[in-house]
Amino acid sequence: MALPQSLRTSVTPLELELIASEQLVEIVPLITMEKTAFISGAYGPLRPPAKCRIPLWMATNLKLKKKCHIVPPEWLSVEFLQERLTRETSRPEFSKLPFRFAEIAKVILDVASDDVQNADKIKSLLKDLREARQAKSRDGLQKLDHSELSLPNLCSMEINEIRPFFIQSMGILTQLVREPSAE
Amino acid sequence: MVFLPPPHLASASRPAYAEAYANILVAHRRSPLTSASSVIILVAPDVDALCAAKILAELLKQDDVMHRIIPVSGLADLERMKDELVTYAELHTLILLNMGAILDLSSENWFGEFSMKLTVHIIDSNRPQNLANMFSGGENGERFIVWDDGEAENMGEERKAWEALTYEPEPDSDEDSELDDQDEVRSNEDGDPDDDEEFSEQGPSGKRRSLGDGDRSQEKRRKLDDQSTRLSREQRDTYHELIAKYYGSGSWYGQSASATMYILATVLERVDCDFLWLAILGLTFQYTTARISRDTYDKYHSIYYDEVFRLNPLPPDVAANTTDAITAMSPDDLSVRAAEELRFMLFRHWTLYDAMYHSSYVAGKLGIWKERGRKRLTGLLAKMGFSIPQTQQPYAHMDLDLKHQLRAKLDSIAPEYGLVELTYPSFARCFGYRASPLSAADAVEAVGALLDVAGGIRMEVEVEGARHGGEWFGGGRLWEGGRNGEEKREKRIEVGSRQKDGDDHADTDVNGEERKERTWWVKNFWAAYDALSDIVPLRDALSLAMSLHRAIIRQGTSIIDKQDIRTMRSHRVVVLSKGPDLALFAHPGVLARLGLWLVDALRDRLPGTKIGGLKGRGKKSLPFVVACLNERTQTYVVVGIMGALDFGDVRRNEFGLAFIEAKQRCNARSRHSTFDASVLEIEQDDLKLFLETLCEVGEGY
Repeated sequence: MALPQSLRTSVTPLELELIASEQLVEIVPLITMEKTAFISGAYGPLRPPAKCRIPLWMATNLKLKKKCHIVPPEWLSVEFLQERLTRETSRPEFSKLPFRFAEIAKVILDVASDDVQNADKIKSLLKDLREARQAKSRDGLQKLDHSELSLPNLCSMEINEIRPFFIQSMGILTQLVREPSAE
Repeated sequence: MVFLPPPHLASASRPAYAEAYANILVAHRRSPLTSASSVIILVAPDVDALCAAKILAELLKQDDVMHRIIPVSGLADLERMKDELVTYAELHTLILLNMGAILDLSSENWFGEFSMKLTVHIIDSNRPQNLANMFSGGENGERFIVWDDGEAENMGEERKAWEALTYEPEPDSDEDSELDDQDEVRSNEDGDPDDDEEFSEQGPSGKRRSLGDGDRSQEKRRKLDDQSTRLSREQRDTYHELIAKYYGSGSWYGQSASATMYILATVLERVDCDFLWLAILGLTFQYTTARISRDTYDKYHSIYYDEVFRLNPLPPDVAANTTDAITAMSPDDLSVRAAEELRFMLFRHWTLYDAMYHSSYVAGKLGIWKERGRKRLTGLLAKMGFSIPQTQQPYAHMDLDLKHQLRAKLDSIAPEYGLVELTYPSFARCFGYRASPLSAADAVEAVGALLDVAGGIRMEVEVEGARHGGEWFGGGRLWEGGRNGEEKREKRIEVGSRQKDGDDHADTDVNGEERKERTWWVKNFWAAYDALSDIVPLRDALSLAMSLHRAIIRQGTSIIDKQDIRTMRSHRVVVLSKGPDLALFAHPGVLARLGLWLVDALRDRLPGTKIGGLKGRGKKSLPFVVACLNERTQTYVVVGIMGALDFGDVRRNEFGLAFIEAKQRCNARSRHSTFDASVLEIEQDDLKLFLETLCEVGEGY
């Protein structure tokens, strides 16, 4: 990492975004390209108007040059997110969402918001989801003990948020448990 | 030098814009030495060229072509740049935006000496263009490509004349013609490009420049050779006259460079809202600075109007052309909408009174410089139902119903005061929730102000609320472009080094000042370039534009009040040698605006003078010469403006030629510092003589 030591408590969101960009996404290409070998694998061939699956970083690059249209994944739609939001607010446990949904959603909405239907509604739904889950993870931290912390269905950005805290606190709790007679 | 027809006139044998662009890409990808200096774009400092540069840069970026954009301020700068460019080995494409059309670029003074693989593209809205650029063919010729807007099709006569004069043997080299015939036969067999050197050492006429690829001109030459060995004297004279008429009828403007770039983007099928907005800005710039007439503006406007509706479909429940249509629909709404524009200067950002006060059209009709005129203005506003406090409110705080009624009221009441053509169709762009929608004219004003005065001069900008006892009463603040802090640091370092070196380094002083002079306008250029894509600096620049206008009005009203306008036989002269804003008006751009304001303001009050063309065919117009003293360099900046008698009409500007002739006649020490021949910088002592000679030149028409 390029951060100074004092800030190196966890991975930065930008790095998470970079890792998430490796995931494959579907595009409708506007140019033709043969099957080309990249470091992470061989992708293509691109034959408009047939759809093709390429990594998100490549899709972003092509989209910025107006050479493709990104097809949003099926979880990035109003119905899906709305349904998850109602489930989130009605039950105490976390609902299942794609692991890196926050990063992928951000990238796609930044670059290709015209390819996504109802982009504004989706943005507001994502914000609501985040707030609901954040409240739950804050509550969940109260149940922190020295040996385990079980928060199923948490997503990568959320884990990253609380990681510095619970690593340190679990360490301290372990010390306290090991030496209860120190007081 | 080849001219490219626009795409709608292209055919398989006549490549158009797309092919030229594809060739740039191919050259970039194939050359082994490709670097960032392979494709260089030289840009003239006006809004239109800036927009065109932005479109082109974006297209090149999307195609992964590395390029450099270099601003060039005038002919001297271009020469300096040319000397630098000779040293770049990897340069293979040079693109000139809004410059170079009048220069004979294949001569040794310019780019004739560059390597063969260099291609020069000229996208220029200035006319007249050098006929050599357009029509000479051959291999040397095909290095220079002029992107034409379709006008060249109508120049068949000039083409014939030019070709005849250039390729026909002179009457005094009769014996050479037989030799030449044989050489021509020989070269037809070889088809070798080395013939270039052979023939250039031949006769003094240099007529056989190269017989490479110009098929048509070859045939024509053979035909002419067959028919008659030389032109008769009368034919030669008619041809000379035709060409002199073409060059001598003054300067005018053709299709804007940004429109050319937009057409390229359309042909490549890569248009989007940003390109459309930039093309609209280029067109509006041409119209508001009186470079094109209202008819031309309407023609292009209708094209863009259709484009707007194609790219930005409005939701069906919002009617077009209402004020509701120009509100942002969503936070990411970046669309362009059609709107009617009032001729008030920046009226959505000022108070209504101010906007009308500062617009040259209203100023002229109502006579704003006198107290009586100002009363008429308030009277007009009162008749429309606006009370004085309401008109002093910034537009954003004005009552909503007043805003809605404004146009209707103006249409009904303004004609009584003689203000008839108050609106013209134009466009506005929404910026989501970041800023209120900005009209094209306002954006052009802001960018133009940045180009002229963003740095290098102290400009005081009004803070909102500084009037009438508002919270910041009496306060102004200094305009700070983003780079002003760096400038101050530079100045401190310069001063320090100067003190160290002492007096015997007078040269470095001058050089340092020159460098500072060059760099301030380069910074302005980049500030304006950045503002084109970012709304925040653009919005801030609006206050700069407002203070610029205030200065212009101040100066203009004082000129008219003091009756400083001297009427010569064929034109009117204004000389500014003292005043509070002298340093501001030493810039040619600002001075030109002042001239335009004066023309607009005095349009109805002064009789037009007949400026004849080459044969006494005269159209009445309002020629104006404005001169301002630059105290620092002890020179006068002189700008010549040819105003038309009718609002919305334009005249060809003949001051360029008149200046050159007057300069030669009186041997004045002067130079042309910009690409416009009607802008001149002249030594202080020579000004009087120059102005007198100018009158004589005017008589010669």
